[in-house]
Amino acid sequence: MSRTFVDMARGRLPLSNLEKDLYPSYGFTKANILEYYRGIAPFILPHLKDRALTLKRYPEGVEQDFFFEKRCPMHRPAWVKTAEVPQDDGDKIRFCLVNDLETLIWVENLASLELHVPLARAGSPWTPDSMVFDLDPGDPANILDCARVALILRDLLSRMGLASYIKTSGQKGLHVFVPLNRKDTTFEDTKTFSKAVAGIMQKHYPALVTAKMAKQERIGKVFINWSQNDASKTMICVYSLRAREKPFVSFPVEWKELEDLAGLGDPERLQVVHSEAVRRAEEKGDLFREVLVKEQKLPHL
Amino acid sequence: MAGATIWKGYIHFGDTDVPVKLHSAVREERIQFHLLHKRDQVKLRQQMICAYEKQPVPAEEQTKGFEVEEGKYIIIDPEELEKTVPEGNRMIEVHEFVKAAQIDPIFVDRVYYLEPDIANIQGKGYDAFVKALKEMDVAGICTWTMRKRSYFGALQASGKVLRLNTLRYADEVVPAASLGLQGVPLSEKELMIGSELIDKLTAPFEPRKFENEHQKKLQDMIEKKARGEKIAVLAPRRLQPTESDQLLEVLEASLKKAA
Amino acid sequence: MAVQGIWSGTISFSLVAIPVRLVKAIEPRGVSFHLLHSKDYSRLSRKMFCPEENTMVPPDEIVRGYEILPDKYILMTDEELESVSPERSRTIEIVEFIDTKDVDPIYYDHPYYLVPSKGGEKAYQLLVEVMRRTNKAGLAKFVMAEREYLVAVFSRDGALALTTLHYSDEILPDEDMSPKKGKIGAEEESRMKKSIEQMIEDFNPGKYADERRKKLVDLLATKAKEKALVEAPAVEEEEGEGPADLVAALEESMRKVKAR
Repeated sequence: MSRTFVDMARGRLPLSNLEKDLYPSYGFTKANILEYYRGIAPFILPHLKDRALTLKRYPEGVEQDFFFEKRCPMHRPAWVKTAEVPQDDGDKIRFCLVNDLETLIWVENLASLELHVPLARAGSPWTPDSMVFDLDPGDPANILDCARVALILRDLLSRMGLASYIKTSGQKGLHVFVPLNRKDTTFEDTKTFSKAVAGIMQKHYPALVTAKMAKQERIGKVFINWSQNDASKTMICVYSLRAREKPFVSFPVEWKELEDLAGLGDPERLQVVHSEAVRRAEEKGDLFREVLVKEQKLPHL
Repeated sequence: MAGATIWKGYIHFGDTDVPVKLHSAVREERIQFHLLHKRDQVKLRQQMICAYEKQPVPAEEQTKGFEVEEGKYIIIDPEELEKTVPEGNRMIEVHEFVKAAQIDPIFVDRVYYLEPDIANIQGKGYDAFVKALKEMDVAGICTWTMRKRSYFGALQASGKVLRLNTLRYADEVVPAASLGLQGVPLSEKELMIGSELIDKLTAPFEPRKFENEHQKKLQDMIEKKARGEKIAVLAPRRLQPTESDQLLEVLEASLKKAA
Repeated sequence: MAVQGIWSGTISFSLVAIPVRLVKAIEPRGVSFHLLHSKDYSRLSRKMFCPEENTMVPPDEIVRGYEILPDKYILMTDEELESVSPERSRTIEIVEFIDTKDVDPIYYDHPYYLVPSKGGEKAYQLLVEVMRRTNKAGLAKFVMAEREYLVAVFSRDGALALTTLHYSDEILPDEDMSPKKGKIGAEEESRMKKSIEQMIEDFNPGKYADERRKKLVDLLATKAKEKALVEAPAVEEEEGEGPADLVAALEESMRKVKAR
């Protein structure tokens, strides 16, 4: 195991196995991963701030076993911020909070390629900041079908007075976020609302959309997974890497861009790889910023 | 004038029998809406639809069943149901008397006025009964059967009139403890100012002060629409909740305002 | 705390505002039956039916109308109904407090509990405690489901109980109830009081049970032992759509989306 040190604001942070290739078919080492996260840091950190992090660690790379880690590793540096969050079964777990660059680098050094966070912040775990529509295509449907569904969904939400923002999951699907950012929102609200929306979408576009989780219902359709609106569920954080053959990123898409790409017929055009992610973020800024600040209230509940 | 006689019976305890007639004490009035079909404004009817055939089912084909498990029922036929109806005697049996103040208002369901049934030659005792209840400040707890249902209630005096208040059964009242409320510490200062504020805002109970303004406004709105006028649709007012750490401040400001 | 909500909003007194939800205080325990189709024992449900078109009508095609002339209606939308008293549809404003013993029970209609929503726990507790100490109840008006209610808010066992009240013009007069004769004999009076005194106890509502309900339950228990239960044919589980208001609004919006 090779060890290097990096100088950061807090002092020196030990890093290990920097030359290890974690994306073997593409060629992307741990050093590359750290470089990516350092570059995307100004954009990803606000979305990680104060959120109980679930690490998804790939110590041997994307083609080998991974493991989820909720409990913040015991051997963490003293300055890593944590928070205790009660779980469904009553137990409390201490999670890491990635509130600064050092913690992000430390977490990435642990090969937590994917960063998964809940819809609520650690201090108020039952108050979702947004409502999410997780669009998941069932073979042979693909991301372009998700795009079509997303555009209808956006229109529907807009007519209900709600603005929405979309990102790629970095894998096969798309995530539509409806920012709420209100203290009085509950998961019951977002779950009820999203379930009703999913039901309406299924009702009016039965060949394209399903709101049901059963595998046989999802063949060739886009599944709107409304049940993600739960205190115990996590979503891939925007700007996080994905553990696929290539280091794709969960990246925000502008609605106009989605409209154009949906018509072109090439699913690959929607995927954003690491270098492109940093370039686009630096050029256009955080396209998902509104998800953190826009205040909206769910009507008719 | 009070409502028509609903029922006749007699109050019984010990050697005492007081024949009475029951009248409603309350008449509710409200604007009735009908449910219409959007397309053709035809008044809709309620139908019993079969879940399986998805067709309406006429009364002759309907049976009562009691669900024991999901989808499994015990069938009851009308004669068997009749047998469960308690004996239809006319007795309002008083079992005990309790201090009127002990009856928690949450138990009170409907209120009836009782009129002495003077057609019945034993029609005396009403006055003495009412006077005694009033002067002793007690209520008579009783049970009776009316229209095939069993009732439990309290006989109380209101001035010179006897009332029968039906009460809810104990197991039907949700206990406050089941709401899962957590205790929150309050400072003595907050409690003191709160109490003072309430005292300042206290007035004698004068229900005639309150009118159903909503009914009037609704009536106005309907008439406006009938004349073809446009009506403004206003959004409901929502108040900002008081933050816990500002409670004392807000209480003090309220007290100043009330003074 | 999984308590079903009927209404949610704010309760206020002077400048203090407490976010709350209204929940049931009465759980009827009568034995309830389902109506079944005699043919196959499948469950019957109440649906709205249009006699003109001879079809069942789904909720999004139902509107409310007020009959001004025979068969002539003025339609009212939910928005219009909610806007009749906009200041009262989400707020219970306590305008004054009264001595609890001054409230004549004839005014009581239906009881509920109020439970605090997140953030309102402290202010809620304060109101519960001060009303308990001062033995007062709050009087307020509020609008729920297009009806305006006069309500009394009480402190009960550490919680806020809300009871809707009848308006005074809904209480019928009782002048003609009392007998015309005046005099009561002193002996009759003392005999009556003695009879009553012998029967004084403490109030314990738990002693009284619903006789009819008991008989029904016994009958059901007997029948359950005797015969096999009938079973309804399997029906496809229809997942609940969601709150009626929301579903209607979504249908309306979807209609516009498709029209584009």
